[in-house]
Amino acid sequence: MSCKLQEGRPDWKAYTLGEMDARARQEAESHMAACSDCQDELAGLRVTLDAMATLRDEELPRRIAFVSDKVFEPRWYEKLTQAFLRPSFGAAALIAAAILVHAFVRPVMVPVNTTAQVDTRAIEARVTAQVTERVQSEMAAAVNSAVTKAVAETEKRDDQRTALLLSATDKRYSDAADFLNKQVTRIYALNTGAGVR
Amino acid sequence: MIFREVEDRDLIATARQGNVEAYNLLVSRWEKRIFNYLLRLVSNREDALDLSQETFLKAYQNLRKLDDPARFSAWLFRIAHNEAFSLLRRRKPESELSEPRPRDFGGRLLPIELSLAVESALKVLSEDQREAVLLKVYQGFKFDEMAEILECPVSTVKSRLYTALDLLKTTLAPAVFRKDGLA
Repeated sequence: MSCKLQEGRPDWKAYTLGEMDARARQEAESHMAACSDCQDELAGLRVTLDAMATLRDEELPRRIAFVSDKVFEPRWYEKLTQAFLRPSFGAAALIAAAILVHAFVRPVMVPVNTTAQVDTRAIEARVTAQVTERVQSEMAAAVNSAVTKAVAETEKRDDQRTALLLSATDKRYSDAADFLNKQVTRIYALNTGAGVR
Repeated sequence: MIFREVEDRDLIATARQGNVEAYNLLVSRWEKRIFNYLLRLVSNREDALDLSQETFLKAYQNLRKLDDPARFSAWLFRIAHNEAFSLLRRRKPESELSEPRPRDFGGRLLPIELSLAVESALKVLSEDQREAVLLKVYQGFKFDEMAEILECPVSTVKSRLYTALDLLKTTLAPAVFRKDGLA
């Protein structure tokens, strides 16, 4: 029996490849329940994809060599530009400028009430800048520490894998050597009668 | 601060500042997928390894040009695609002489034989069709990501993939149905 939908037939390839939204999937499934043609098509696709899943990823014959190379490090002017663009640097520069301006344009010191001399905005800006800088440095430290940890774990895993491979190779070699020794002894015994009663 | 696993975007940001260790970690995360994608495309281990090396080198050199770190995987596979097709174009006259033919796997198939049958069936596809299968079935990319990697419309991606699946279904039918005892 052929599918009665013809043109509007569900896209079974999109269905099996996970490219169909939930609603379309539901509609396709309810149609399939009553359509043997679509059931056959879906079964054929699934069998093909299952067969394809038997092809496993291969291990790399050797790790990709990527060593530190000064050529790829940022140039001095790039580092300088990055430093200037950091918010903490901007905040620090603003504070420095404010201090300078204040030093040059401040009025002659007249003994007045000390509470009136407190520049709350400058203090607020300084505190904000300090907090921003602290948060950024702590975040950078946390990311760096996480990267270092992850790198160390990866290297440890690689070392363990290498050790396992070496140990398996040693065992295979040792088994093969034992087998050969036994074979040689046996052939020698057969040829010479040694050890044969 | 709550500890979270280092994500690719953190590694990319750190690598952009010149930290090679961070980039090495990115390489170790992606090298197997890139190598296997290239291996199935060019069908030669040494070539696949050289192309993987080139891919990661070019990615490092251009890391600052990556606009959106969330698109790193598609961007990396785009570089790998360019490297592979550059080699395949150079190879063209040689490969045109030897058209691959599907191998005949008679009798009941063991899993290893079935995977050899799949490997052989993939080689019968055109390079474009094979790549569409590799990116979708083996690498799990969505259609729009594939369109980005292959720099073509989604409709082209679907057309290549669907034709490839029909061909694979026909090529593998004798092997898979015999294995399942359906024929």
